[in-house]
Amino acid sequence: MHDIQRARGIVDVVLAAAEREGAERIDSIDLSVGALTFLSPDQLGFWVREMLKGTIGEGAQVVIETLPARLRCAECGFEGEAAIEDDPIYHFTTLTPGCPECGAAQVEIIGGRECVVESLRATRRTD
Amino acid sequence: MSEQSREQFDIVIETDLSLATDEYADENLQYLDEHGVRAVDILGSVGSGKTSLVIEIIKRLKDRMRIAVIAGDITTRIDADRIQEQGVPVLQIQTGGMCHLDPELVREATARLDVDDLDLLLIENVGNLICPGAFPLGTHVRLVVVSVTEGPYMALKHPGIFNQCQVAVVNKIDLAEAMEVSVGQLVADLLTVNPRLAVVATNLRTGEGVDGVIEALGL
Repeated sequence: MHDIQRARGIVDVVLAAAEREGAERIDSIDLSVGALTFLSPDQLGFWVREMLKGTIGEGAQVVIETLPARLRCAECGFEGEAAIEDDPIYHFTTLTPGCPECGAAQVEIIGGRECVVESLRATRRTD
Repeated sequence: MSEQSREQFDIVIETDLSLATDEYADENLQYLDEHGVRAVDILGSVGSGKTSLVIEIIKRLKDRMRIAVIAGDITTRIDADRIQEQGVPVLQIQTGGMCHLDPELVREATARLDVDDLDLLLIENVGNLICPGAFPLGTHVRLVVVSVTEGPYMALKHPGIFNQCQVAVVNKIDLAEAMEVSVGQLVADLLTVNPRLAVVATNLRTGEGVDGVIEALGL
């Protein structure tokens, strides 16, 4: 269900920007979505396209890039991508507990929760 | 009108919607701090025992703390009515289908409470072990309830939410044998997923373990 909430937010941002810039039509939308958001790119893309129907964004291509889960370790100072355990039981998980370098439990999540409207490609009249 | 009179162009936006939600959460926390209110977000599956836990906590603390509850549900006032019997103010948020509370809903609800007459705010999230974890509300502590009747694999199947919480309650331990679930293994799994979790086993029908929960919450 929260795909819908996020899609609504995305569509509001997209339409506001397109109208402000005098776009007549939105051709494509670039989004970046973190691996820890519980947002499925397929579902999110579906709802964005659905909500754009009847607007200048109808038919726009929705391109979604996934951003990795990133950690900072309080012990060894490691900063980077979280390890992903290759086990079917962890299907919906992207995060392995602890620091992938030293194994310390005190890690801070510094990336992977984003839901970014990056940019639009649009068409406008020039005359 | 010909295509020649049109051009394609790019609009850079770079708006992170998750920051907007996090800002609301930060503002909620600041608001609660300014008024000396400690807040707990209570998460867990449908039927895990969140409302029972809220009631048991209230029973033990209402003589020394001024408590209010925000109860989130898809619909109905059943939880709110159960809690209200304890004589504390309850606001029911009916999300109308949304699967989690978000910080904006909590802010609206908090604005309807007399925060100056309050020490502790218990927020019972929508019953769901998945997405509420991704939406911090702006509370001091996040607690997740998991019950043995949900089966033996809840910790490993939903590591996201257990990573986001500081306290985990393993409820219905009186039914563990009938469910053929090992409480010890469930606790071990929880600590594998999040080694920093404070884990407390409870039987909320009898109140067993609730004092440990209160201690883990620092109340």
